Amino acid sequence: MAHDPKREDYQRLSLRFAQGLDDAEPGAAMRAFASFSQRFAQDRDSLPQSDADRAFHLVALATDVVDYQLPFASDEQAPGLIQRGKDLLDEALSLDPACYDALRMRSSSEAPSVEARYRFLVEREDEVRAHCEASRDEAAASMEGERAALATSIAMRPYWRWLASLAEEALICGRNRVAAETAERLLASDPADSCDVRFTLAYALAKLEDEPGLARLAERYGAISPQRPANDAWMLLARTALAHKRCDLLAARDLLEELLSAYPNGAQALVRQVELPDGEFARLRVSPYSEDELILAVSEGIVLLQEGNDRSGRGVLGSWVAGTVASLRPDAAAEALGGRGNEGEQRT
Amino acid sequence: MNAWDELVERCALRRREKIGPLSDDAYAELVLAVREDPASFVDDPAEAALLVLAQALDAYRASCRNDDLLDDDAFEAARRRRLSVLRAESERADQLAAGSLDARLLALLAQDLDPDPLLGGLVELEQEFDAGETPEGDAWADVFYRPRLRLRAAVARTCLEGARFRMAASAAASLVDAMPGDQLGARHTFALALARLEDEAGFDALDALFDRRGDAWSHLARVILLFKLDRMSAARRALRGYDELCEGGAYALLRPTYVEPYLPDRPDAAAGSFEESVLAVREAEPIIADVPDFIGWCQGFDWLVASAERFARGRDLDW
Repeated sequence: MAHDPKREDYQRLSLRFAQGLDDAEPGAAMRAFASFSQRFAQDRDSLPQSDADRAFHLVALATDVVDYQLPFASDEQAPGLIQRGKDLLDEALSLDPACYDALRMRSSSEAPSVEARYRFLVEREDEVRAHCEASRDEAAASMEGERAALATSIAMRPYWRWLASLAEEALICGRNRVAAETAERLLASDPADSCDVRFTLAYALAKLEDEPGLARLAERYGAISPQRPANDAWMLLARTALAHKRCDLLAARDLLEELLSAYPNGAQALVRQVELPDGEFARLRVSPYSEDELILAVSEGIVLLQEGNDRSGRGVLGSWVAGTVASLRPDAAAEALGGRGNEGEQRT
Repeated sequence: MNAWDELVERCALRRREKIGPLSDDAYAELVLAVREDPASFVDDPAEAALLVLAQALDAYRASCRNDDLLDDDAFEAARRRRLSVLRAESERADQLAAGSLDARLLALLAQDLDPDPLLGGLVELEQEFDAGETPEGDAWADVFYRPRLRLRAAVARTCLEGARFRMAASAAASLVDAMPGDQLGARHTFALALARLEDEAGFDALDALFDRRGDAWSHLARVILLFKLDRMSAARRALRGYDELCEGGAYALLRPTYVEPYLPDRPDAAAGSFEESVLAVREAEPIIADVPDFIGWCQGFDWLVASAERFARGRDLDW
């Protein structure tokens, strides 16, 4: 259920459009709304919108460029895309200085280190929360019913994404307790976990070797995400890591089997263990249980996989996972290893 | 491990067992006599094995002394050679005694394995040489029990190397419980594991248990712990403390050097000495790697860099 800026852009404008029709006669309103989608697609500027809406639209365009085009671009294309993403975000901020999505995304490329990015996210968190909560309260006061529910959610999302980025950055910085606390703050504010921050939380708890905490999180899945049981790659990798850390290799192997049955095409990703840049707007949108989802989970899981002084350079858990998957799925593993020489991002 | 001291003590104890009760003075005389010529008092296969180990460790340590003169390839070749000699001698000692835990531990450690296979080997040794309950009181006082304690300390350190921090902490905790003097320095492994687990309460309790005396490991672990908890002013003060209390600590941190594997345990280093700082930094390596910007943050303090540079110049070290 990752965040989709295009959909959110549409929701923002449709909400504003619908509000503008409230005083119209019902038949006319119906007809006007029927034309909304077409106008959104073809003549966006003719629709009522605020500077914040325009800024968010630019964020949606920037996301497409930096999160969905850049990873597949050639070396020649990349600098152009990076510049275009930056320009879009700068323009968004000039329209709306409180466009926190743009501010957050820009900080990712501007911060000189993960520590600096973390610091930036920590220092502005209160400001972002205050701004989003004020927008939420305003929306709640001026609307009712489903419309209010959507408007208040849209108002809070930049703050939620801010916290999700902060939790992930804390995890990368080795601040696992901060990561877990931040994730809990986000779950308290967004109990349906639209950011899937419970995945980051699972890794933070595994890093802290907090078995009871991870077991409690698995129990909470029913309330957080009734549609998705606790068998996502993050939860399963976190549990694998803990089993491996307590030297229960049989259990760890069973968990890898479980992971491979949840992700039938996952063997290669588990052998390759490629680290990718995180999505800047939010975690990339991929299908649940797809190979792509596992690739994301493994990439974020590098913090678990690469720990320990193992001479292979893959980390103690990383070596063990690659070796065990190779014995469980020899064909897929051989293919993965055969392709390794061409992997630009391969970390060995 | 001071194998000669343990050999003397073991030979004297065995002799006393044979000849019956001795006054304290007479026993002291006996110890002096054994110290003069331990080999002539060896009359049990277990001590025969320990004698081989004591000699093998002397030879190993002597052969490390000329390393500075070698280039990388020659160093690596020399290193492999002396490790394989030590391993062969340890295996000989093990056969001599028909099973000697110290010999087996050394033979295993001399293979210089990655943490996972090493831990596997250590756990097998724990099962094979299971001595049942830990002795009452100070387990270190029983010289015949010490191999078990050394094994446990190696387990704790290997768990830390292999990113099994809770296991490292629990193995270290069992040693701290069993031997109040902590002659094997398990508290150092313990402190690093607690820092990595961001367990501030546990870290503080450990520090209090040892009367807050502090050492290179605990000072460094505190900096890392506070950094991880994002208490940056406190972390900065702790870094200051580390720099002031650990000789060459800044240099050791900013210019980490290779340290030979511990055979079978941590080499002796004077409290607060540069050697201690070097060992602490080496042991902290797996948890420093987990805070990617930690060293960069340290380097941002001019006083720390200046301190490292001053130390390097004073000792004529590369900077």
